Amino acid sequence: MKVLTANSLETGEALFWNKGQWAVRFADGERFEGDEAAAPVLAQAEGQPTAVVAPYLIDVEEVEGHWVPIAFRERLRALGPSNHRQHGKQADGDADVEALVAATFVARSAGRVKLIKR
Amino acid sequence: MYRYDDLDRQMLTDRSNEFRLQAERRLSGDITEDQFKPLRLMNGLYLQLHAYMLRIAIPYGTLNTAQLRRLAWVASTYDKGYGHFTTRTNLQLHWIKLRDAPDILDSLAEVGLHAIQTSGNCIRNVTADPYAGATADEIDDPRVWAEVIRQWSTVHPEFSYLPRKFKIAVTAAEKDRAAIRSYDIGLHVRRTREGELSFEVLVGGGQGRTPYLAKTIREHLPAGRLLSYLDAILRVYNRQSRRDNIHKQRIKILVATLGVEEFTRRVEAEWALNDGADIDLPDTELARIRANFRPLAFEPQPAKSQAFEAAKAADAEFARFTRRNVHAHKVPGQTPGDATSEQMQVIADLADAYSQGEVRVNYTQNLVLPHVKLADVPAVYARLKEAGLATANIDLITDIIACPGLDYCTLANARAIPVAQAIARRFADPERAEAIGELPIKISGCINACGHHHLGAIGILGVDKKGEEYYQLSLGGSGGDDASLASILGPAVSANQTPDAIEALVETYLVHRQEGERFLDTVRRTGLQPFKEAVYVDAH
Amino acid sequence: MSTLIKLESDRAVLALDPFVYVPDEAEVPAGGDIIVSLSRLVSEGDALLGAGRRVGVRLQPSEAVEDLAYDLPRLAVVELAFAKFRDGRPYSSARVLRGRLNYRGELRAVGDVLREQALHMVRCGFDAFEPADGSTPDQWLAAAHRYRHVYQRAADDRQPIFVERDLNASGLGHNRPDEVGA
Repeated sequence: MKVLTANSLETGEALFWNKGQWAVRFADGERFEGDEAAAPVLAQAEGQPTAVVAPYLIDVEEVEGHWVPIAFRERLRALGPSNHRQHGKQADGDADVEALVAATFVARSAGRVKLIKR
Repeated sequence: MYRYDDLDRQMLTDRSNEFRLQAERRLSGDITEDQFKPLRLMNGLYLQLHAYMLRIAIPYGTLNTAQLRRLAWVASTYDKGYGHFTTRTNLQLHWIKLRDAPDILDSLAEVGLHAIQTSGNCIRNVTADPYAGATADEIDDPRVWAEVIRQWSTVHPEFSYLPRKFKIAVTAAEKDRAAIRSYDIGLHVRRTREGELSFEVLVGGGQGRTPYLAKTIREHLPAGRLLSYLDAILRVYNRQSRRDNIHKQRIKILVATLGVEEFTRRVEAEWALNDGADIDLPDTELARIRANFRPLAFEPQPAKSQAFEAAKAADAEFARFTRRNVHAHKVPGQTPGDATSEQMQVIADLADAYSQGEVRVNYTQNLVLPHVKLADVPAVYARLKEAGLATANIDLITDIIACPGLDYCTLANARAIPVAQAIARRFADPERAEAIGELPIKISGCINACGHHHLGAIGILGVDKKGEEYYQLSLGGSGGDDASLASILGPAVSANQTPDAIEALVETYLVHRQEGERFLDTVRRTGLQPFKEAVYVDAH
Repeated sequence: MSTLIKLESDRAVLALDPFVYVPDEAEVPAGGDIIVSLSRLVSEGDALLGAGRRVGVRLQPSEAVEDLAYDLPRLAVVELAFAKFRDGRPYSSARVLRGRLNYRGELRAVGDVLREQALHMVRCGFDAFEPADGSTPDQWLAAAHRYRHVYQRAADDRQPIFVERDLNASGLGHNRPDEVGA
């Protein structure tokens, strides 16, 4: 599935398309079946140069009942910086944000390279 | 430091008025984003993950307290109450709105601050020795020349649409504390045998995807001819660099493609043709600029009151403080380079009281209070400690340099801040850190190398492997006189493994080190093999 | 005929352009003022220039103005094309033309020519412009005069700020009124 996103021209914050409006919460973003299904709204967004900058589609997946971006960068973008949890969209602290946090910072991989234990 | 007079300030105001017009044209749709982008970049405004980022220039890393207080005010009024000092001695604000930017620039202009050409394909903020004017070993104050270059390059009509960004650094002591060999142009002030000031000119350094060390193209350039020579280099670059592949458009590529000899020949030929009389500054103007950097009046002191010389006191923490630093710094676990508005105010207060109203930013993201009298150090320390700024760890393993990384920056592939914090927490014991000694760790979140990882004794580069953050370790880099680029140790390790890997490297160093060797020295002597074996099971 | 903006001393005016650009693949018309590419000038220049018409040349950003040195005295117009507004090579070409090549004829900016770069073009010695963004002469002139001072000399005759400062100090200068271009 896809979500259409862009940055606000005036404020620079990440926005998510929702039926002709731009939402600030990732969870409110409208989902599309794929690139083709989203193409018309992408074109619409590209026709709004005084509202948003550089609209594009991101891939999303469902994780335990919540939709989250697949790309790590987009997860951070939907949340805010990890060194200031009180800054950015993550400050909302609601269930959608928590799901996003869990998906983003779930146990890291053990790594493919073995280290010598010290 | 250079005092802006009415004419200089009018330049700043005209610039800010121009940007207001340009922003208005963009907001109304009169110009496209494509047409607007270079204009906003030339006013320091990036569009990043969460908001616009504004990069404010701190020319050659020197601030007066009125400026530092204004930065604190701007950070709390228009941002989230903190700012980030960068590896190029600028200040970044990460939560800026485009519509506030013209007002911010107006406010900065009032105290002689600006964001002119801090981004874009133009000549950027010129960096100099962070201890300029406060150190006994300099031949001249390099900031004089940094200011000369700053003025000449400001709104330069010919060189504002270069193939890529252009960075110049100046150093004037025997020891290069400005890492000039990693710049597009590095300038080393020297004296000829006859006692005349001259420059050694180096060209073609740079970090990023393909790091290079700059090569000398001229050993002796009479100081008064600096601008006409820079003019020649810039014209050759502007005309002859590629324009078809953004990754091949820094001057280092042109120098490598032509070879140093041919590149030098073209520059010298161009220089012979340009009209130096039109470009070089008259002696009167050089003297006027230089007069702004007159050494401050110091009361005679019993010993040198410089950063590196201090007596031990009874307090062991303070003794460590005096061993390591007489300047403000961050606490391990905080974000490298970040200071809150409150902390900036504290530093401004201290600078007014103890360091003649002057503050410096250096390229390792630390702040320097120059000119502090030895006798005043205990009082300074006490105040810094209150504000959480008295960590005695300059150049130690916890004094990590890191770019903002994927937490903020659209160019990044991985986060840099959490790794820095994890390492700093692992080595937080100040005695252990001091026992390890000088060990600069530099972390970049992508190959653009804003964390200067090529120049770290341990350099760390964040990479994206199938959507996960991995970190490539390199050893043996240095930005100083003994400049060298770090060498890759082996395959990238995961975020979780990184602190363990650093521990393994440190322990290897401690096992192998000989008398007086820093980490860097041991690596250079033993080579990478013992370190590889310590980190990677398969390396034997 | 198309129109262009021409700078005449301190004014900017709309002028009719008598020159016609002749692409390489096209035949040169029998009469009239023409502008041709550098390669055509090199191969047919003598014939064209001897025909009693005015001839100009259009240079692409990668072409060297030094190659014009021989023909420069006989050229009526030199056009420097901006392939993309952020490709700054024409600024250097203009400086070389006005400087060491001492070209005094019309120097025209064509291509991706936008108002926000008017200042740079004027200071580098361009005196005629085909704006791609519909800018009027007034808008162009205002954009070229946004700064009361300049820090460096260029191809125009503006004095750098330190000369102004000296003049002010000695009482010979004048503080310019606080007019900033729009």
